[in-house]
Amino acid sequence: MGNNILIKFIKDHKFSYIIGIIFMLLASYIQTLFPKVLGYTIDILQTNGFNPKSVYINLVYIVLIAIGTFVCTYAWRNLVIGNSRRLECHFREKLFDHFQKLSPEFYNRRKTGDLIAYAINDINAVRMTFGPATSMAINGMVVCVISIYSMANTINWKLTLLSLLPVPFIICIMFYIGNIVKKHFRKVQETFAAISDRVQENITGIRVIKAYVQEDGEVKKFQKLNDQMLEANLNMVRVSAYLAPLIELCFTISFVLNLIWGGNMVLNGSISLGGFIAFNGYLAMILAPVLSIGQVITIFQRGMASLDRLNEIFNVKPHVKDGESRAEFPAQSTIIITELSFSYPGSDSEALSNINLVIPTGKTLGIIGKTGSGKTTLVNLLLKMYNVEPNKIAFNEIDINDFKLDALRNGFGFVPQDNFLFNASIAENIKFFKNIYSEEEVVNAARNSCVYQNIMDLPDEFETILGERGVNISGGQKQRISIARALIKNPEILVFDDALSAVDTVTEAEILKNLRKVRKNKTSIIVAHRISAVMEADEIIVLEKGKISERGTHLELLEKEGLYHEIYKFQFGAS
Amino acid sequence: MKSTNFNSAHLEKQKFTRLLKLNLPHMKRILLASICVLLVNGALLIKPYILKIVIDDILTKHVVQKGFYSLTTLGILYFVVVALSGFFGIAQVNLINRAGQEIMRDLRGKVFQTIQLLPLWYLDKVSSGNLITRATNDIESLSEMYTDVLISLFQDVFLILGIIFVMIMINVRLAIISFCVVPVMFFLVFLLKTRIKRNFRKMKSLIGRINGFMAENISGMKLIQIFYGEKEKKEAFAKLNSEYFKVTSFQVWMNSFLKPAADVFQSLAVAILIWYGMGKIANQTLQIGVLYAFTTYIKQFFAPIADLADNYSTIQSAFASADRIFELLDQKENLEDLDSGISMEHTKGTIEFKNVWFSYNDEDWILKNISFSIHEGQTAAFVGQTGAGKTTIISLVSGFYKIQKGEILVDGLNINDIKKRDLRKNISVIFQDVFLFSETIGKNISLNDDISNFVIGDAIRTSFAKEFVEFLPEKINEPVMERGSTFSAGQRQLLSFARAIAHNPAIIVLDEATANIDTQTEILIQKAIETMSKDRTTLIIAHRLSTIRNADKIIVLKQGEILEMGNHAKLMEKDGYYKAMVMEGVKEYHTHIY
Repeated sequence: MGNNILIKFIKDHKFSYIIGIIFMLLASYIQTLFPKVLGYTIDILQTNGFNPKSVYINLVYIVLIAIGTFVCTYAWRNLVIGNSRRLECHFREKLFDHFQKLSPEFYNRRKTGDLIAYAINDINAVRMTFGPATSMAINGMVVCVISIYSMANTINWKLTLLSLLPVPFIICIMFYIGNIVKKHFRKVQETFAAISDRVQENITGIRVIKAYVQEDGEVKKFQKLNDQMLEANLNMVRVSAYLAPLIELCFTISFVLNLIWGGNMVLNGSISLGGFIAFNGYLAMILAPVLSIGQVITIFQRGMASLDRLNEIFNVKPHVKDGESRAEFPAQSTIIITELSFSYPGSDSEALSNINLVIPTGKTLGIIGKTGSGKTTLVNLLLKMYNVEPNKIAFNEIDINDFKLDALRNGFGFVPQDNFLFNASIAENIKFFKNIYSEEEVVNAARNSCVYQNIMDLPDEFETILGERGVNISGGQKQRISIARALIKNPEILVFDDALSAVDTVTEAEILKNLRKVRKNKTSIIVAHRISAVMEADEIIVLEKGKISERGTHLELLEKEGLYHEIYKFQFGAS
Repeated sequence: MKSTNFNSAHLEKQKFTRLLKLNLPHMKRILLASICVLLVNGALLIKPYILKIVIDDILTKHVVQKGFYSLTTLGILYFVVVALSGFFGIAQVNLINRAGQEIMRDLRGKVFQTIQLLPLWYLDKVSSGNLITRATNDIESLSEMYTDVLISLFQDVFLILGIIFVMIMINVRLAIISFCVVPVMFFLVFLLKTRIKRNFRKMKSLIGRINGFMAENISGMKLIQIFYGEKEKKEAFAKLNSEYFKVTSFQVWMNSFLKPAADVFQSLAVAILIWYGMGKIANQTLQIGVLYAFTTYIKQFFAPIADLADNYSTIQSAFASADRIFELLDQKENLEDLDSGISMEHTKGTIEFKNVWFSYNDEDWILKNISFSIHEGQTAAFVGQTGAGKTTIISLVSGFYKIQKGEILVDGLNINDIKKRDLRKNISVIFQDVFLFSETIGKNISLNDDISNFVIGDAIRTSFAKEFVEFLPEKINEPVMERGSTFSAGQRQLLSFARAIAHNPAIIVLDEATANIDTQTEILIQKAIETMSKDRTTLIIAHRLSTIRNADKIIVLKQGEILEMGNHAKLMEKDGYYKAMVMEGVKEYHTHIY
């Protein structure tokens, strides 16, 4: 998938790539002309009573070479490097698209920071590989080939061969040292990751640290990691410092051989002085790309590793299968759950077992039970956050798997346990960034969730930006805004997943009263820990270890004197 | 406009001197490295000179080779020079890196320390991601500048100076001719400088925004899917991404232009040099070897300048990071001073608020004229609707914020005068959202303090956390996953109780958790609160009125003011707001039981 994106991108941009590479080759070629022209010029200057005109011609060549190099380099850099930036953005957009399709199961297993690293670091490594590193490699190869060819062809092939003698050694040294450096580099990255983790945790837990005066201990712990980082870095430098001088030393052997042997050849007239100078020029020209090979190799390795990682992510298929036949959620739908059992992927125990339930349209269902009893699982399945077996859940006798996902979810309004709000204005949060609601609808939703007055007390009212860079509001206010976000949809089915936990009993009662008013003929499902949130429901089920242990209305359940009654007694302090 | 320009230039200079000052403690190493650099550069300058001798004396003038003056010895000399320069090069890289990495370590440590001591009002304002990048990525990009750029920059500057010197020594006129293109080049860079810088800033802030956007949407992905907001989010992201692309495109263009431009200047310089020199050679006033040596020097002169175009982005990036780091380090005056003030080994635990006014922003008063006192060992409960100011009060008791008007007294001493370290050691705060570190359970209770396993075990027992810790495979050595995600909210709450108890404070401040606690755990929590508050001054922010019926003092808050105060019986008698709140619960109870 990731490879496909890459291949498709390259195919889509093949003209700019081809033209770019042509310019790149041209630029490299033109560059290699320079030592030759300089050599000729020196040869001309050396002859007594030389003709200035021929020197002028060569000077014009030098200037032309300069201009040619400039134009070609400018062109290929814009095309190839520009494309690599385009590739970066393209990849990131595709990745974000892909993220949006993945199911909650995927996100349960992954850390957010990790996933962002894909979008920033890995994509960046891919960009470096397909931009600067590729062009450096191509450029280096062309320069080497042409230089060696010119050296052998126009000057002297024996001298060339002799000069290239140390090259195999250079390659060995490079690989040997390169490998050690890579190992040290990994260590550096590991310590860096450890430091990031440490800082991240420290900052998220800073309140605890301050309250318990743990600053000194935290600093001490951090210093230890900090010292490790220093060591890791220095260990790497200690090895890598050898790389460039050693390669240069090897090359110097070529150079010295050329100096001694080539010099003698000039003396006995088998090559010209200009040829000797040009030869030196070519040797110097080869040195630069050879020195950078190590760098290119590491960039390539990192890029390929990152591409592998990206491929892995792109190959993750959304777990939840999309239905096909139904694009519309039925109005007035009765929910029928028959013999529903469910285990989380990778788990042996059943989170829900043999649930049978009918929620007639327009009725309210209350669900109560311990943590881990399966309440959230049940509502998650209604929204098909996980795959549901066929013929287990139906809306108006249409199986849940027949619906297109967007149609299904469009039928629901959902208030989650954690009050997640986006770093955007309150109005946008309530509208969920959709421009289909009027201002009046927003205000009404806020009124019905008893948060209107709180919002109006904020500096910019509904336009107040929430979140890290905006205003911090209390957990209760957040919860009520997320209730408003569900209410504004006026959905066929409204689900409160323990969504009244952060509001006090007075506000809770008021919200429930409003609900009864606006949800008159529509279905609601209220999951709660507090009896007061569910006792008005048409039916209440008590979940215990994934099974319905009690069901009935509030009064019926109290008479049963079971778990419900026990919870009731505890919460109301009645004796 | 002019003055701001001056100002920014001034600031720029300040930042630069500050960066330089960081080097001071490592002067010895840096000096040694400089000597190495000089030697390496000397070698670089000698190399073309050896070639000049070879070309002029041996190859052109055919001077008789004897002794030192032979191709072979000159060749060997050349090799020795390179070997020596390699040796000094390695030494220099190691020296500079040691200095550089040590500076980075110290800086990183300082940043971390600063973050530890930042006051809460500052931490409230900045995003955590922002702080994290300062201690990690920003230091890293400074370090990158040090290792990748500064070392070569250092060398290049010396080299350029050396080349200029040697060229002038050999032939002043030729030297001047060779440099005639330099002013044009500088003019060009000067023209583009501000645009490059501005663009670079934009790039950094955009990548930060992309990062933030991703983080937020990954956290909220479930909601996006439920609310079918994928299309809107995709559009928003595409917009951000294309904005980023536009900014990077400029950078690509910049580099595409600057890099070959340096090459053009180099070739032009060579062409001008030859054009000038050919006359001299014709009338024998100039040797070819000199001319050739000059072309080599010109190449050596321009190579670092061409690299500068590439390095410029690293430097700019590092400078932008330096800005952010210094900005944080400049919070010095705002940092909390834990150790000044009256020391207070053991607090008795009386707390008094005298006409306290408080606001987070000096505008909207969160607390208005609050007065109350709590005696040693008493339990006080704060009730009221969300936003009434309950949570604020507990933040004030620990001295996290400064109040604007009034006085807070602990054991009769003004809280501002007490050593913060002592004050906080005596108060254990239990937050509404419990934070657990990814360490073992035991470490989460003792934190960095030296607390014996016996005391930890005892704390686990009294907090009733034992009920579930006992069943963990590793008991108190059980590792806690990222943010304690493997424990339920109730279990986390019990662990935070154990943490508080183990630190044996005189005062416990408890912000009762609201969400997701099942009744069984709830009962344990109630029992734990009871044992915990025995013999200790306890402040509870209650969300369930049943929790606090036995409190010595119930303080009812509404919109930052105290509405009623007294124990349960007294308040019920009063027939006010508290009673209404209680009755609301009881009413439900009555209507449904009968």
